[in-house]
Amino acid sequence: MIEPADAGPAEAPGTSHRVKVWDPIVRLSHWSFAVLVPAMWWTAENSEWGWHRRLGLVLFGIVTLRILWGFIGPRTARFGDFVRGPSSVLAYFRGKLSGGARRVGHNPAGGYSVLALLLVMLAQASMGLFAGDPFDGMTGPLRPLVGVMTADTITDLHETFFWVIVGFVALHIVAIVFYEAVQRERLVGAMVTGRRRVPAGVEGIGGLPWGRALAAVLLAGGFAFWIAQGAPPLT
Amino acid sequence: MVQDVIFRRVVSTFALATCALALAGCGGETPEADSELSSPLIDERHENFEGIGDAFKAIRGQLEQGSPDFSVIQANAQDINQRAGNIESHFVDETAREAGYDTEALAAIWQEPVAFSEATQKLMDTSAALVEAAGEGDPATVGAAVKDMGGSCKNCHDQFRYDDEA
Repeated sequence: MIEPADAGPAEAPGTSHRVKVWDPIVRLSHWSFAVLVPAMWWTAENSEWGWHRRLGLVLFGIVTLRILWGFIGPRTARFGDFVRGPSSVLAYFRGKLSGGARRVGHNPAGGYSVLALLLVMLAQASMGLFAGDPFDGMTGPLRPLVGVMTADTITDLHETFFWVIVGFVALHIVAIVFYEAVQRERLVGAMVTGRRRVPAGVEGIGGLPWGRALAAVLLAGGFAFWIAQGAPPLT
Repeated sequence: MVQDVIFRRVVSTFALATCALALAGCGGETPEADSELSSPLIDERHENFEGIGDAFKAIRGQLEQGSPDFSVIQANAQDINQRAGNIESHFVDETAREAGYDTEALAAIWQEPVAFSEATQKLMDTSAALVEAAGEGDPATVGAAVKDMGGSCKNCHDQFRYDDEA
């Protein structure tokens, strides 16, 4: 986070510029999660199991894409860029990182938030793959790979674990609101447009690397499709 | 500036509302839609079928073991047989999904009472056969009996239970 990047008209002209911060894949995956996670809850509550399974597999694919992108995407997408040791997180909260070199992208605290949210979504979607009872309703595509009692336990856990996700999402939203309302950083806008106004001398990221983007989409999509088919020849 | 104050208040209210909603969502029963009818019979039969399902899971779980415990299989088959005997009494009142009840029971149950009775009887017969097979302890016979009983579950569901997997 850069502050006070969006201070407004008090700044003299020429001391700030708009740069790219978040590439399209980061943004599209982020907003997909915001739509799909509530959709997963709604489809389960209303017994729309066909949609629950279809959308769950889509969500699984997008989480896979974002994780893959975290290794091959532009700088601000990469885990290596924003996952820092605990001392960096503490230093950030104490304000020591706000001086000196400024950069766009997730701060150390936000970085762990990204990791946590991706991991809980991955865990939840993965549990769903093995859930259900073939004699009673919908089953995940990998259900044949586990025994009856294991699947039963996984199904119960899948139901309860949703509230862990709700907890992390609520925390995420509170943090974003804090940055918007108190720190006056226009984070939501940046995650929509991909751009932020930053002080002169702070560089943004470059254009989308199309080749890698296509490769990531095909790999993640292909993987999710294979899982959806029951990961042949495993089932 | 005034706009900033307003903006902060709006955003803070939104944050509080989001947290409140998240907390409110934790636990609790899903409220039924106002338009959905209910009946004590629906809860009773739901619980009965859940019991059958749990017993059937326990049986299948045993068959997945290297050496299944046939006494566990027999006890659960006995439980299913007893619950199967309760089924018809749970459907005396017409409480079909199509009529707006919060249930997976289809109107066909009351439109085709003979077929429904036969389906229920099939579960009673196959579970009784499994009780006997488990008593004798021959894995092959028990396996076949479990398969038959599973078939009777499916047979009834295919005709009389709402399919929510579409």
